[in-house]
Amino acid sequence: MAVRLPLTIAAALLAAAGAARAAEDPLAAFERDVRPLLKAQCFECHGGGKQRGGFRLDRKSGLLAGGDSEMPGIIEGKSAESHIIKRITSKDPEERMPLKKDALSAEQVNILKRWIDNGAHWPEEVEQPTEPAPASPKLVTAEDRTFWSFQPPQRSECKVESAWPRQPLDAFVFAKLREHRLEPSPEAPRAVLLRRVAFDLTGLPPSPAELDAFLEDSAKDAYEKAVDRLLASPRFGEHLASLWLPLARFAEDQAHQVGSDTKFFYPNAHLYRAWIIEAFNRDVPYDRFLKLQLAADRLPDVPPSDMAALGFLGLGPKYYNRNRLEVMADEWEDRVDTVSRTMLGLTVACARCHDHKFDPITTRDYYALAGIFASTRMMNRRPDGRPEKEGTMADKMDPGTVHVVKDGEVQNLNLFIRGNVERKGPLVPRRFLEVLSPGEPAVFKEGSGRRELADAIASRNNPLTARVFVNRVWAMMFGRPLVSSLSNFGHSGTAPSHPRLLDDLAVRFMEDGWSVKRLVRSMALSSTYRQTSIASAPQRQADPDNTLFSRMNRRRLTVEQWRDSALLLSGELVEARGGKSEEPDNPVSRHRTVYARISRLQLNDLLMQFDYPDANVHAEKRSVTTTPMQKLFALNSAFMQSRATALATRLQRLGETDADCITASYRLLFSREPEAEEIALAQEFLKKPAESAMSRWERYAQILLASNELLYVD
Amino acid sequence: MLTDPPFGPLSRDPLLLNRRQLLGRMCAGFGMMGLAGVLSSQAQAAQSVTATGPHFAPKAKRVVFLFLNGGPSHLDTFDPKPALTKYAGQQPTGELYKKTKGSGFMPSPYAFSRQGRSGIEVCETLPHLAKVIDDCCIIRSMHTDVPNHEPALLQMHTGNQQPIRPSFGSWLLYGLGSENQNLPGYIVLRPSPKIVVGPALWSNSFLPAAYQAASVQTSDMAVDKLLANIRSPRLKGNEQREQLDLLAALNRRHLAQREGDAELDGQIRAMETAFNMQSEAMETFDISREPEPVRAAYGDTPFARSCLLARRLLEGGVRVVTVYYTSSDNQPWDTHTDHNKRHQNLCADGDRAAAALISDLKERGMLDDTLVIWGGEFGRTPYAENRDATKAGRDHHHTAFSTLLAGGGVKGGLAFGNSDELGMNAVENPVHVHDLHATILHLMGLDHKKLTYRYAGRDFRLTDVYGDVVRDILV
Repeated sequence: MAVRLPLTIAAALLAAAGAARAAEDPLAAFERDVRPLLKAQCFECHGGGKQRGGFRLDRKSGLLAGGDSEMPGIIEGKSAESHIIKRITSKDPEERMPLKKDALSAEQVNILKRWIDNGAHWPEEVEQPTEPAPASPKLVTAEDRTFWSFQPPQRSECKVESAWPRQPLDAFVFAKLREHRLEPSPEAPRAVLLRRVAFDLTGLPPSPAELDAFLEDSAKDAYEKAVDRLLASPRFGEHLASLWLPLARFAEDQAHQVGSDTKFFYPNAHLYRAWIIEAFNRDVPYDRFLKLQLAADRLPDVPPSDMAALGFLGLGPKYYNRNRLEVMADEWEDRVDTVSRTMLGLTVACARCHDHKFDPITTRDYYALAGIFASTRMMNRRPDGRPEKEGTMADKMDPGTVHVVKDGEVQNLNLFIRGNVERKGPLVPRRFLEVLSPGEPAVFKEGSGRRELADAIASRNNPLTARVFVNRVWAMMFGRPLVSSLSNFGHSGTAPSHPRLLDDLAVRFMEDGWSVKRLVRSMALSSTYRQTSIASAPQRQADPDNTLFSRMNRRRLTVEQWRDSALLLSGELVEARGGKSEEPDNPVSRHRTVYARISRLQLNDLLMQFDYPDANVHAEKRSVTTTPMQKLFALNSAFMQSRATALATRLQRLGETDADCITASYRLLFSREPEAEEIALAQEFLKKPAESAMSRWERYAQILLASNELLYVD
Repeated sequence: MLTDPPFGPLSRDPLLLNRRQLLGRMCAGFGMMGLAGVLSSQAQAAQSVTATGPHFAPKAKRVVFLFLNGGPSHLDTFDPKPALTKYAGQQPTGELYKKTKGSGFMPSPYAFSRQGRSGIEVCETLPHLAKVIDDCCIIRSMHTDVPNHEPALLQMHTGNQQPIRPSFGSWLLYGLGSENQNLPGYIVLRPSPKIVVGPALWSNSFLPAAYQAASVQTSDMAVDKLLANIRSPRLKGNEQREQLDLLAALNRRHLAQREGDAELDGQIRAMETAFNMQSEAMETFDISREPEPVRAAYGDTPFARSCLLARRLLEGGVRVVTVYYTSSDNQPWDTHTDHNKRHQNLCADGDRAAAALISDLKERGMLDDTLVIWGGEFGRTPYAENRDATKAGRDHHHTAFSTLLAGGGVKGGLAFGNSDELGMNAVENPVHVHDLHATILHLMGLDHKKLTYRYAGRDFRLTDVYGDVVRDILV
């Protein structure tokens, strides 16, 4: 930041510079000569309304910070090195400011040069509120803080008289079942269990060899070993990334495209995705995982390879007509919304226009956070650390360029009354949410404040961060969350079905070094997880929705799991990691679905039809729809036709006779032996004449790929 | 497969059935859900199940929006401004969104005359709509917030200027479900692949995927080109039937071992629906089955063919259809230069097909419960955008424009509201886009203030916190 020189020193400097008019008050000179000139020539594009190139020079902080080019507009005392002087005197008509207008006269240029050389004096000014603050601002009361999710989570001992629990979490589930006079379900058959845990930890089914090895392993810890092997597989990170990316509304482009303009697209968004996958595979502690995504550029000792983490913010939507204040206000809302719902399970964006209707979150809280993002700038960072030249189209960007953020001109925002950018209320300093701060929240001082925000979120003292994440992982593993409003832990969300369990998991997670792998492991090894998904009649009666986890939930595969399975089973899956995205319904696309291109403009039809969420906003969960369109894809699409053909070839090589091949097919696809009648039905189908353009085996392979048994995990 | 709290007013059913029971019940009533919509395994299923009826008796059961991309001129269609001749060449004054450098006010070169029994003045560029004007309501006092295509398009489709809200079609499906089990409930017809903004215009956004639109490109009207995967590339119908019989047998065995799980049963039914759809959709989407005189009445242009297809879809039970008027130009109505000639050519096509659709619906007795909307995202400036009189164009204009409504419970032969003497601002009975949305929902039997969806901690509406039903235009 600029150091403001006391007037006396400034005057001395002026004298030293030999300025003839040193006697004049420099601020008066500014108001007389400089401000009117800037206003007439520059403010239209670089003022309070528009800020072309991210640059505004209607205030000194903007001039010093510079725009997207990263070059300060002025260097005090050095007009020759000041960027605006270069731009107003450039010979290149594309460069010369003001664009498409007459050049400044020599005298006008001299006024600006003199002003800069004399120290660029600019009066201290604060944007004055145009309206007073609301008469009685909502305050966060002690009572507000007593709401369950704002209280620190507590460890609790849960002792039960039973040998059933294997993991601490089991005791809580068991106690709750007992309260309802229910027993847990028996353990699932081993083959079912292996198929389940393979899908949950890696997104793919086990191979027949893995199944055999597991079934033959009579060691007591055979299952533990299988779980550890799955956790160590690089497929683990790919699967977990499918959980994370929709939360981060990950995408590679914008919902708006003007003509064929791609300068706001993110051709290297895959570098963020690769970082997420790698972070889960390396088991980067979750608190660190969050901090890097919010503030990798502001943390000490962060290797360049971790800068891609900033894509969480840097891949956010850029809206049409950006750099207008009201449009930027919409972008800041996106950042506040995505960060607060993903990481805190709070709907802070509700407080943009009025205090939150349900939660103790005020408009001041909202603008305190929005100010952080108003002080943060989107940046396409080249491998050499420099930004891509302004306006570079996607296909011209360096392949190593990451789409990240950096601190821009640091500013506090005026509270916009009822969200209207033209109705400015009082200035709100950047800080964390009041209800999550022990006392008066500390004002953020370091640049934009992103690092301080990251510290406040990824903190053991934050009552929400760990709870929200363990609940997401629980939902992934058990098919229903403990708190069903996954990204809303406020008053308008739902209360946890097992509050003590949620708390205990959250505390253990933090005490265990925020290790995601150990969290997943504790769930996978639990007795709760190992239950069968077949419900007994009393269970169906007493716990119809399985809110008590009296059995395992049967689950439909996600589009990633289903498509990946088809590729794996047909023997075609290419497990190369990273790299550019592909259209997932292209018949020759063989990579895992996590590497599919995700578009805000036009989401791929396959992804859309199979419930991949809209990438314009944070998606707390996916809907699960069952549609004939999905079935038409399974039956008629070029993609599935290709898989059926490859699978047919593979299946026919698995044995000598049809019966052998059918048996091997069931082991491959469903991790089980076929029953006699299933073999008979298949044999009957296969021995009929071909009659059509598809062979009988192709048609059979297609049936297996389209079957419910493949689509569901028990 | 996460379980939601019940959302929205339509689902405040105290009978929170176990979801698998619920699905069991739903499957019986599968027909009320759409192809895109359809069966889901959770709360949204509950919503759909309870969305059996609107808030009150609807006037319209279905809606078709003929959308003229780029912004048609109100001054050369439905809003006669003789004063423009008097002030021709003078510069506009007052608050303008953008300074103008053009040659001043620009009268329409086309004549207006009174038409029909209602005597509504219609421009000679629209001879066919003039003939059905007694079935139409012209709102001459429309206005929107911004004269830029992207935000204005989004506003007209979603009520919001950023691409983060559901479209009106998805809201309607969410409120009403679909009428036909073998066709999507919301279909978008677009003659060209590119449309400004694009799919965000028909997005279901945060509404469940069940309420998404099926987008169909209509540049080639061959049915298997219109609908992806609608036909097996290698199997004949009976061959696929044989295949599906085995699949159904295996799926039923699987189901029997899983306590009759209704969700698995739903999957089996969806497969059967898909099979039947292939033949039903093949028929419904095939406009070559229309008699030649009908096809001739619509005309033989991409927009006209799409309008004809729209009628077949509406007849087949599709709830919401949007037909976009695009061509090789993705917003042809955006006549910044050579406005007079281009606009007239566009009108010739847009006029004929729209009038044919209205007449056709009327002949079939469908106009009474089908709402037809014809218009764009905004209008065009009453003054010229440039100085060269021979190439003069009109710029975007958001403070006054016209929209046509017909059928579906709207008064025919009515010109509603007015812009000022020069067509600059809506002055009499101004109708904002939010008001139009409120009115569309009202006609469909939905209260725009009650059609809410709980998302991200609050209840969202198509009309946000705005909108008044334009009661004066209702029958």
